[in-house]
Order: sequence, then C-alpha cells, then structure tokens
Amino acid sequence: MDENALSLENLVKEFDGKKAVNKFSLKLKKGEILGLLGPNGAGKTTTIRMIMNIMVPDSGKVQIFGKPFSEKTKDILGYLPEERGLYRKLTIIETLEFFGKLKGMKKSVIDSRGMKLLKKFDLADHKDKKIEELSKGMAQKLQFITTIIHEPDLLILDEPFSGLDPINIELVKDIILEKKKEGVTIIFSTHLMDYAEKIVDSVIMINNGIKVLEGRLDEVRAKFGNKILHLNYSGDADFVADLENVKKVRDYGNEMEIELIDMKYKDKILKQLIGKLSVNSLSITEPSLNSIFIGKVKDNEVK
Amino acid sequence: MKIWVIIKKEYKQIVKKKSFVIATILTPVLMGGFFFLPTLLTKVGRETKNIAIVDYSGMISEKLINNKDRDVQLEEKKLKIEFKNVSDVNNNQNKIINHFIGLEISINNIKKEIHEISEIYKKTKDKNDKRLILDRIKKKKLLLNEKTKELGNIDSLLMQEYRDKVIKKDISGFLIIPEKIAEVRKVYYFSLNISDFTTNKYISSRVAKILSSTILMEKIKDPEIVKIVDEATRNVVFSTFAVKEGKDSESSSSSAYMMSVFMLTILFSVIMAYGQLIMRGVIEEKNNRIVEVLISSTNTQTLFYGKIIGIGLAGLTQVLIWIAIGAVFLGKASLGIDKSITGFFTPLIVFYFLVFFIIGYFMYSVLFSIVGASVNTDQEAQQFAAPLTYLMFIPLIIGFMVTQNPNTPIVVYASLFPLFTPTLMFMRISVTMPSLFQIILSIVLSIASTMFLAWLGAKIFRTGILMYGKKPSIKEIIKWLKYK
Repeated sequence: MDENALSLENLVKEFDGKKAVNKFSLKLKKGEILGLLGPNGAGKTTTIRMIMNIMVPDSGKVQIFGKPFSEKTKDILGYLPEERGLYRKLTIIETLEFFGKLKGMKKSVIDSRGMKLLKKFDLADHKDKKIEELSKGMAQKLQFITTIIHEPDLLILDEPFSGLDPINIELVKDIILEKKKEGVTIIFSTHLMDYAEKIVDSVIMINNGIKVLEGRLDEVRAKFGNKILHLNYSGDADFVADLENVKKVRDYGNEMEIELIDMKYKDKILKQLIGKLSVNSLSITEPSLNSIFIGKVKDNEVK
Repeated sequence: MKIWVIIKKEYKQIVKKKSFVIATILTPVLMGGFFFLPTLLTKVGRETKNIAIVDYSGMISEKLINNKDRDVQLEEKKLKIEFKNVSDVNNNQNKIINHFIGLEISINNIKKEIHEISEIYKKTKDKNDKRLILDRIKKKKLLLNEKTKELGNIDSLLMQEYRDKVIKKDISGFLIIPEKIAEVRKVYYFSLNISDFTTNKYISSRVAKILSSTILMEKIKDPEIVKIVDEATRNVVFSTFAVKEGKDSESSSSSAYMMSVFMLTILFSVIMAYGQLIMRGVIEEKNNRIVEVLISSTNTQTLFYGKIIGIGLAGLTQVLIWIAIGAVFLGKASLGIDKSITGFFTPLIVFYFLVFFIIGYFMYSVLFSIVGASVNTDQEAQQFAAPLTYLMFIPLIIGFMVTQNPNTPIVVYASLFPLFTPTLMFMRISVTMPSLFQIILSIVLSIASTMFLAWLGAKIFRTGILMYGKKPSIKEIIKWLKYK
C-alpha cells in the first residue's frame, strides 16, 4: 500500500500556449498538511483542479492513495473550491443533506454530524434559513462544513481562509488541525503565508506555474532563509539599509526586519542603532515564509 | 444511486417554487375561462326583452302574447322574449303611422316609375323626345325629394316619441303593427338595440306566421286546413357541414382547429419554459462554481441526466395535474361546455399529448442544457437559445397548413423530422389521425435522435460546464466532442 495520500507527477497544463502549470510534481504523506503557496495567478488553482479531475492535465499523472482518480475516490475527498457557491434557494439543512447524500451519506448521519458542525460554526440557529438570507461569512462557513461533513480522508482546500474574518480564520485553522489529529491528509493553497506557516508540515512554493521551492517547513527555513533581527522602534530608520553587513531591510514604519550577512554581526549593528533610534523591543526570529518567498521569486526573476 | 439525489433535489427545487404553484393553478383557471366564456357570455349576455306591442290592426298582439303552442313558448323562454300589450293606441298616432306607410309606398312607387322612365329614355333615339322624358324624370325626382323629406320628418317625429318611451319605461322595444298589416306586410320596431338579429328574425317570422294563419282563417274558416297549412309552411333550419379531406366532422372543424392550436400552444410553452429553466439552472451552477463541488462528488453524466430527469418530472407533474383538473371539469356535463370541446379530449389525444410532451421535453432540454453549459451569462444564453425557439416555432407556422391539408407531402415529411415531431405530429393527430405507421415512425425517429443528442450533449456539457470566461466557438465545441 502506497504511503502517499497524494502524488503528482510532472503535471503540465497549457492555456493558449502559456504554461499555467509546468512539470509540477509532489508527494504528500498520509496524515500530513501541505501548504501550496504562491502569489495570485501562480497556478495553484489550476493544479488543484487537475487533482480534482476538473481539468484534465495535458500530460502527467495524478494518484490518490496510490490509485488514479475515479468515481470511488470521490467519496473520500473533501474539496473546497476557490470560488464559493451554494444553491441560493436551499436552506442550510437542505444544503447539507444534498451535498452529504451526494457523498453517499445516510440522512441520519448527515443530521447528527451536521448539527454538531453547525453548532461548532455557530450556524445552528440559522439552520432553516435559505442561503440567500445568510451573510457572506456564514455562507463561507457552511461551505466549509459541506466540505468536511462526510469525513474525507483527503481534504483539498483552495484558499480556505479567503473571505473569513480573523475569528473564523482561527476556527478554520483549528478544524484543520483537528482533522490532522484524526489522521486526515490535507493540502491547501493560500497566498496568505502567515497563516500557512502556523499549521503546515511542509510547503511547496509555486510561481508562474513552476515549483520554486519545496520541503518541510523547518528545512525550508534553515535552507533558504537566514535568521532575522526584528525590532520595534520609533524614529527615522532610513540609514539602516546603508550600514555595513546588512543584507536586506524591510521597514514597516514602526517595525523593521533586518537580514544580516551573518548573525555574528548583530551586536555591531545594534551598537550603531542605539542613540539614533528609540528601540522598544528586539528579537531574533526565524525567517517568515513570506520573506523566503519574496526572496525566492526575486532570485528567479534575476535568473 | 447518486443520480436520485440530483433528481430529487432538482424536482423539489422546482415544485416548491411559488411560480410553479401559481402556474399550476392559474393555467387551468385560464383554460377554464377559454372554454366556458363563450357559453357563459351567450347565457349571461341575453337579458330579458320586454317588447311592447302597439297593434293598430288588432289582429296580431292577442296571438303574440297569449300563445298556447309549447314549442313557441320554449323558444321564447330560451330567447328571453316577453311580449306585452300597450293600450297606447290612439287615433292620431294611427294616422301618423298610416301616413308614414303611405309615404313609403308612394316613394317606392315613384322610384319604380323613375326606373321605368329611365329605361325608356335609354331606348329613345329622338332628341326632342329625350328632352321631354328628361323633364319628366326631373319632376319625378323633385317629387321624390319632397316625399323623402316628409318621410324623414315623420321618421324623426316617431323616433323622438318612442325614444322617450323606450328610455323612460323599462321596455326593450316597441313593436308597431300598422292598421293595414295584411297589405303592407311590415312592422316597425323601436329599440335601443336593433342589431340583435336573433330577436329580430324571430319576431318577424312570428308575425308572419300569425298573419298568414289569421288571413287563412278569415278566408277559409276551416281550422283543420289552417293547421295543415301552418304545418306545411314551417321554417326550414339551415344546418352546416364542413367537408374536409380525411375525416368529415359536423361543423366542429373550426373548434377542432382552435383546440389543436390551443393544445399546441400549451405543449410549446411548457417545453419552452422547462427548457429555459434547465438552461438557467446550468448557468447558475456554472457561475456559482457549485459545479466544481458537484463534480468532486459525482460525474457530469449523472449531473446532466439527473438534472434533465428531475426537472422533467416536475414538468410532468404539472401537466398531469392539469390533465386531472381538465378531466374532472370536462366530465361534468352540467357545466354545459360545448360538445366540440369535450369531444376533442379523447383519451387517445391526451395520451399522445403526454407522449409528445415527454419526447419534446427531453429533446429540447438536452439542447437547452448544452446551451447553458456552453455560455457564461444569461444574455449569451438568450442569443444561443433564440435559434432553438425558432426551431419550435417553425412547426407552429407549418401547423396552419396542417389544418388545410394535413396529408400533403411537405407536412408529412416535416412531421417526421425529429425536431418538429413533438409539435407537428401532435397537431396532425389532433386534426386528422395520420396512419399509425407514420405516428410510430415519428416517435421512433425522435426518440432515437433524442438519445443521440443526449449522448452528444453529455459530452459537450462535461467540458463546457467547467469552461469559464470566454464564449466558445463552434470549432471549440466540436473539439470538446472529441475528448474521451
């Protein structure tokens, strides 16, 4: 038995002569969470649509739990598409019933599991409302429930956080982690890397249809990023970028990330800051996926 | 089976709609109106006619009012005519009317004379004679003018008098019977409504009848003979038969045609409405991207057939409800629906209506769902759907030919053409039964082509429904067909 929940081999998809996805491969072990990261238009959704057999790849192979995509695999998949949509005229309960039954569930199971999930997402009071009467956030949550109600073994989530407020982002994140504990394999795409790095086991970064980086989160950080000097300050910090031994500076106005050529210069740099800036806090942090990604994309463009 | 989930959802979604409930109830009400109104109107529209008789001859009114003949009584009851005597007979009035009649007669005579003289004028060659004759004609015409003017005066005088009487009193009309009715054979009727020909005709024939039997009675004085003559001079009823090629039917041809056009309109509009419903449903799913979730749970084939069957069952439900309502109402003889209408709805016609509804629905819903899957917006859909509407319209146009010549080759071939079969073959069946062979052939042909279209449609649907953004060209659609 294949221990990979999902494996993609050299997927290629071309639109009007432009390669949206180019020789994309990945392997995802059972029970792990993979973040598919990249900017808008990188090819994330196209990749996911090919996994879901919504699009047929021009070449390459998709295998789910060691088998090619088939009608049988559909019942163990949970798919949340990038663009959300539900039947406007159905009520919440009817919606769950319809999508649950399409996944081969019995009505009694749908009802009991559905109510649990509705309570968790704070939707139980609205269960007889039509979708068109719900707020956008509520509809999003409901769509998420329809994705997991049949307790799939593999969850494929395209931008699961978009359109949600911070509280619900937390909620979805918690559910994803909960599902992981249950042994569910999860792949999700996002361009919001801050959220991704809190939950993923491994990441794949994709840009212009090409994989630019992949690996376990800690490996990626160790390999592609340097530690960063993070400070909270007030004052005029324009001079920092010109200092010796400073590789890169990201200035957010009252916060600043300084990447050094080597961490051994950190004391030297600090000395130069004191007196010119009022430093409120200081820490040495792991590089964020965001900064790794931006660096990687720029490297690519230079090449 | 996942297809049942789709079928159930599509069916429920339509049946629960308010518009479905309204259409299901309202259509029979409108149909009812269509059937009952003509009968109802003639019944309600006939108000009682109180006719006041002013009889200067003294021969007629008594017999008009106190009639003993049962048939006549029934007839008058049906027409709602009531005669009553008016003791309005005064000498002065009598003189005026006699004068009026006298004028009419002399005007007629003068006209005759002028005509005769004109004939002579034409034949006369001599110029002098001609001039003399012309003079005579002029004089006569002058006299004619004078008399006509006088007549006009009396005319308006009488009008004025009776207008007031008709309006003031609650009377529909005054029937004036002149003193010398036997000679002039003319009665005068003053009424607000003089174009009720049924009433007019009835009164004149009644008066004529009474007059002739009275005169006979006076001359022959033998009731037996009078009775025989009465019997012999009974009215002749004029009954019409329309003869057509094919089968003959009694005078109901126009209503049979009306009924078949009516049924055809229902067939056409129901198929159209449900086709459009499918199309819009597909576009909604496509735009909402619900389809991606659906496809991740089941395949496009299931979705495609589930949708068509589910919505089709909703349509069938509606049609069956209509038929049930129709059967209950048409079955009630007490409602007095025209026989030509009840006679039209034979079980066979209803059966064929259902058969062609189902075939037509599937054929066109497949086409509409293909359109829905190929486009992105409702506007685009309307563009593509327009040719489909024309396809269904053509048979309606040919349909007019059907009623005149239901068996001409062009009609026969057109009705065998699968896209036209549902409407045109049904129309032929309802007007004049074609051979069973033709009917079965048309059904087989259209089922076969519906299956082919569905096979084709499922393929286009599969690719089209996941294509967003741009409008596909025909070339691309053909490419979709080649995908495995």
